[in-house]
Amino acid sequence: MSVAIKIHHVSKKFGRRTVLDNVSFEVPSGCVFALLGENGAGKSTLIRGLLGFHKFASGSVEVLGKNPTKETMQLRRMVGYVADQPGLYEWMTVAEAGWYASGFYAAGYLERYSQLAIEFNLPLDAKVRDLSKGMRAKVALSLAMAFDPQLLVLDEPTSGLDPLVRRAFLESMVDRAAAGQTVFLSSHQIQEVERVADYIAILHAGKLQVVAKLDDLKAEVTMISYSLRDPLLPSPVEFDRTEILSSSQTGRSFQLLVRGFKPEIQELLMRDSNLFDFKAVRPNLEELYIGFTQPTSDSGPLVPSPRTPVSEVA
Amino acid sequence: MQLSIEPNNGIPIYEQLIRQVKFAVAEGVVVPGQLVPSVRELAKSLAINPNTVQRAYLELQNEEVIETLRGRGMAVCSGAKRRCVSDRQLLLGERLTAVVDEAIRSGLDVDRLREMFEKAIKQALRTEGVTE
Repeated sequence: MSVAIKIHHVSKKFGRRTVLDNVSFEVPSGCVFALLGENGAGKSTLIRGLLGFHKFASGSVEVLGKNPTKETMQLRRMVGYVADQPGLYEWMTVAEAGWYASGFYAAGYLERYSQLAIEFNLPLDAKVRDLSKGMRAKVALSLAMAFDPQLLVLDEPTSGLDPLVRRAFLESMVDRAAAGQTVFLSSHQIQEVERVADYIAILHAGKLQVVAKLDDLKAEVTMISYSLRDPLLPSPVEFDRTEILSSSQTGRSFQLLVRGFKPEIQELLMRDSNLFDFKAVRPNLEELYIGFTQPTSDSGPLVPSPRTPVSEVA
Repeated sequence: MQLSIEPNNGIPIYEQLIRQVKFAVAEGVVVPGQLVPSVRELAKSLAINPNTVQRAYLELQNEEVIETLRGRGMAVCSGAKRRCVSDRQLLLGERLTAVVDEAIRSGLDVDRLREMFEKAIKQALRTEGVTE
């Protein structure tokens, strides 16, 4: 499997604040890869660095086999990019914006742009300054897709857009991916990411928390909840055999997100007479996201603390 | 065939797809020989990842629910209906087991559970009788 984006030990500081802290991962070609993280987690900084808008303090990146800071122009011809606040010339009409951009790309750009603009119901003779936020986003997406880029990079593409426009964006992304192209997006819309993404990476305060195939992650992580009859007795030791990603407690009820939970462990737990109302379910992405960004909320003395597994469960 | 996906209900999307296609075949909504939407079409119309659709279709092919018609796309296999009906019963059985399990674990009396079960059956038959 070839790789569209390689990120290797990348760090970045703004003044004394560390925005990206030793981030490494790869984006395989032909997949939809979603970057999740809170506001200020470093998503946009990472994306902008991938496109050569700034240099990283350390580490290296390769996008479609190019070095973004050395081969910026070549790279930008290959990557479609929609920024979170697209920079468009306000005085141009929708048609003029496409005509202007077509000068930077191969022949056929303008035809494809017009086709996309019509599919998105954009008024071709309207000035950009008179467009709504959703329409501007559609112009930016049409500009980014008109040259059939191998890689489409979208920085929070659907934030602040109405459900219909968001749906149109998602459909476009899916269609890109179906055509074998790579889509790399950052988003807060967890439900949307859950629909469209093959892979996810979670950034939290500049650090990479997890990068995984979404299906695999869902299969290996279990959300467990249980209550204790006597909350003063120690918590069951069986959880030592799993990797606890996060835990929280309300009264005598506990909720844990664990990796490596096995049916054998469940059988042992069921024999614990102090334990009742036990449930083990597959978490959804929102629960995973919360688990990875807020490890251990209110750890009382009864809650097992997060730890790495002592020994692998066979 | 109308499919609807709930990305966050805990059941993987490809599994939801497999189930819904099977249920549609079991119900006779799609009949043997009928074409199903292409991977790209279905992915776009549901706004879900095409690899997910591909995975579901592969599984449905392995289970001989759908087959490739050369140059025409994918269609429902002959004999798929019988398989889908029994799959649906299997799935219902699983759900029923889970409910019974929960009832027993919550300390419900077995006779009381039987009563509830009989009552639910009667109620279902009654509503069925009204709609018929």
